Amino acid sequence: MHTVLSVDAMDLLWMIATVLFLYSSLSFLWKAFDCRRNQNCYLFDYVCYKPSDDRKLSTELCSDVIKRNKRLSMPDYKFLLKVVVNSGISEETYGPRSIIEGREESPTLDDCDDEVDDCMYSTLDELFHRTGISPGDVDVLVVNISMFAPAPSLTSRIVNRYKMREDVKTFNLSGMGSSASPIAIDLVNNVFETRKRTLAVVITSESIAPNWYCGTDKSMMLGNCLFRSGGCSFMLTNDPSLKHRAKMRLKCLVRAHSGANDDAYSCAMQNEDTDGRVGFHLSKSLPKVAVRAFTENLQALAPKVLPVGELALYVIRGLRHRLRRSKETKAYAGTAVRVNFKSGVEHFCLHTGGAAVIDAVGSALGLNKYDVEPARMTLHRWGNTSASSLWYVLGYMEAKKRLRRKDRVLMLSFGAGFKCNSCLWEVLRDLEDGGAWEDCIQAYPPQSLVNPFMDKFGWVNEA
Amino acid sequence: MPRAPFPELSSSVRLKYVKLGYQYLVNNFVAFLLIPVMIAVSLVLVRRGPDEIMALWHSLQLDLTQVLFSVFLLVFVAAVYFVSRPRPVYLVDYACFKPPTTCRVPFATFMEHAWLINWDEKSVQFQTRILERSGLGEETCLPPASHYIPPNPTMEASRAEAQLVIFSAIDDLLKKTGLWPKNIDILVVNCSLFSPTPSLSSMIINKYELRSNIRSFNLSGMGCSAGLISIDLARDLLQVHPRSNALVISTEIITPNSYTGNQRSMLLPNCLFRMGAAAILLSNRRRDARRAKYRLLHVVRTHKGADDRAYRCVYQEEDAEGHTGISLSKNLMAIAGEALKSNITTIGPLVLPMSEQLLFFLTLVGRKLINHKWKPYVPDFKLAFEHFCIHAGGRAVIDELQNNLQLTAEHVEASRMTLHRFGNTSSSSLWYELSYIESKGRMRRGHRVWQIGFGSGFKCNSAVWKCLRTVETLVDGPWADCINRCPVDIPDVVKP
Repeated sequence: MHTVLSVDAMDLLWMIATVLFLYSSLSFLWKAFDCRRNQNCYLFDYVCYKPSDDRKLSTELCSDVIKRNKRLSMPDYKFLLKVVVNSGISEETYGPRSIIEGREESPTLDDCDDEVDDCMYSTLDELFHRTGISPGDVDVLVVNISMFAPAPSLTSRIVNRYKMREDVKTFNLSGMGSSASPIAIDLVNNVFETRKRTLAVVITSESIAPNWYCGTDKSMMLGNCLFRSGGCSFMLTNDPSLKHRAKMRLKCLVRAHSGANDDAYSCAMQNEDTDGRVGFHLSKSLPKVAVRAFTENLQALAPKVLPVGELALYVIRGLRHRLRRSKETKAYAGTAVRVNFKSGVEHFCLHTGGAAVIDAVGSALGLNKYDVEPARMTLHRWGNTSASSLWYVLGYMEAKKRLRRKDRVLMLSFGAGFKCNSCLWEVLRDLEDGGAWEDCIQAYPPQSLVNPFMDKFGWVNEA
Repeated sequence: MPRAPFPELSSSVRLKYVKLGYQYLVNNFVAFLLIPVMIAVSLVLVRRGPDEIMALWHSLQLDLTQVLFSVFLLVFVAAVYFVSRPRPVYLVDYACFKPPTTCRVPFATFMEHAWLINWDEKSVQFQTRILERSGLGEETCLPPASHYIPPNPTMEASRAEAQLVIFSAIDDLLKKTGLWPKNIDILVVNCSLFSPTPSLSSMIINKYELRSNIRSFNLSGMGCSAGLISIDLARDLLQVHPRSNALVISTEIITPNSYTGNQRSMLLPNCLFRMGAAAILLSNRRRDARRAKYRLLHVVRTHKGADDRAYRCVYQEEDAEGHTGISLSKNLMAIAGEALKSNITTIGPLVLPMSEQLLFFLTLVGRKLINHKWKPYVPDFKLAFEHFCIHAGGRAVIDELQNNLQLTAEHVEASRMTLHRFGNTSSSSLWYELSYIESKGRMRRGHRVWQIGFGSGFKCNSAVWKCLRTVETLVDGPWADCINRCPVDIPDVVKP
């Protein structure tokens, strides 16, 4: 006992030094251990859906489909055609077969199954072929198709078709709107944190065939004009041994749900009209709601994405702005302090909700024509493909060889609920796949985005 | 020739004691090994005497550095161990929707409606026969829209039903737990056959004004076993986010799904599916551990979709006249049995005591190496669980499982009574059954519960819970007014 407890000054110093040394070495070991525990989410590969050419929806064909609805009057017809002509959507977008063949008012369950099967199976076949991964190796399967949820679920359809393992974890997300891609990634990322060496496949698409609106309510007809067929299958993994083949790494993900507000909840809603026909209602307060959700998302995203310097500048600018505003209210009223997101992000994948949405988001983030080009071109070539639009935008950037190693890509989407979800990726190597844009990327950007049928249908813009 | 009972009885009693002795020995093997070692050590110590022991202690030259180092190492290893363990997931409480009596569908009402909606006599007779043998009682409920002649399956009515069942269950749960809605971190909703946009999860976020950074997920189309899929997802999320809680809603919305055609395989769901919902609060917070009812031990999911027969046995399709409905195939029971076997092979090693696993393993080895004709050993799951909640899919499912797992009538009583009182409420039925067991005052601290769900796909999912505190007999809840009448004798065929 005596030898252990006798302490003098030197012993005390020695003790303190030992304690500090042990503490620092153990903290270092702990951090190393913690880093190994936290799993990275890698985007292994993705395949965007390219329907067959016989499904292309030209403006002429759109006009025929609209005319088939005998309940519409001339002003309604003019309004719809105006939306189509001015939407920024080209003649190359795709629609479901049932609508092109004239069965839009009474699609059968087979029509809906076929539409979804074509998308899922063609993209999955190509995904498995390109990655060399066998379906039996898939551990997690997520499908998100908002407006079609049959029983057995679409995930079961895929498990059956590809004969996946019995212990595959399947999740069928539905009803989550156009911003469901980041939600699916969030789900997979959370599962990755609990399991090592896991492979996940996510399929995102939308079902149009069963959701064609056949009534006369204007707010519900917009969906008919803007939504087009599209989809994407992508593979995620947290296996570090596959890192050298992966395309991107997930850095952060932010979800903002403004559904607590009644306006936000009901601004994009599937409902029956006064005649009892089901349609997707888009209210006039949608832009205002979108801005609010967008702001909330950015407030949470900015600290995670922007470098410290930019954040400091923002705080300083904000203080200066407030001081100036208190002195000269008229001059500075209405101007907001802008954050320069380009300091933390090189590429922006914006949801192609419509030309107005893209422009508004672009100006809020301080983006120029070059930055919003991928989103505008995606809207032009593919239309609004709902949740999968982000992947077509990414495909454009990749086909244009814009994605270089260490670049950061921000995916931003909006959806019914009302949600604004975003995620930031880091590019791991120079990417060059043409993907779904392979055959047409040379023609982009075109000289003009104006609808070529303007001379035939230009009269809709008059009076 | 009648067999003499006494020799059999004595031999079976002897066998029982042999079995008990074997179980005791194998399950406490390590203890049995340690006892002689402990005796030997204590004998040595006693022989040496106290003075020698003190001398031994003094001779250890412990430097302060060495002491500090060993203490730190111990602390570090302990910290790593504690942090690497999966976070415990507690079930704080849950609430089941109790349908109002105005929604009741006695047999007579059901048959009258069936006749008035669909004038086909053969279909009505078929449905009558099914109902008489179904195991359902006279108090099961259908939503208001289904009481119309013909039913009124509009989106508005479906949303109304969703609001009724889900909000009632959540209100109950909030009252029981004192939870403030803004404190909910994770929301998982599963409803198979109704999936509007915005989702039901958005509907809940809107009604209760939940936080904007909530992590919400809406699962759909996943069948009657989706409740356990939601629990699995909530568990994974709770592993990642510390100090969080998760609200899980399991329901099935009946309004949009009444089948108005004549195909027999598609008329069955009309007879069996009824209104119901459950709201469950899970948490990984330390302070909730004190008031939580259960702790989640395991979730095992089995998907038999790779097999075409299993995939097609519960299938939504259109009949020849274009009416959509869910068709149940004739080999549903066989497929359910196979799915259960697959699930058991995974969950068995996790829950069965060593004695059963050893027997199973030895029989397996014996069958492979010695004699193929040995009967496969069916492990006795009654040793692993005190209570069983089997999805109340239908009488045949409960019978099949009772047979396969060799359970007594008391073990399946919760399932049978739930089917009788509430019908097949799909994914929420497991929670009605758990509520039954609690209402009967049978749930004690330390008891383990096995929830088994089956559903389209074909999936078989299991969850294992351990009771953390003896549950007082519930004074409210869905069983409050009828628990004293239960168990009710359900005849094979009910003749009105």
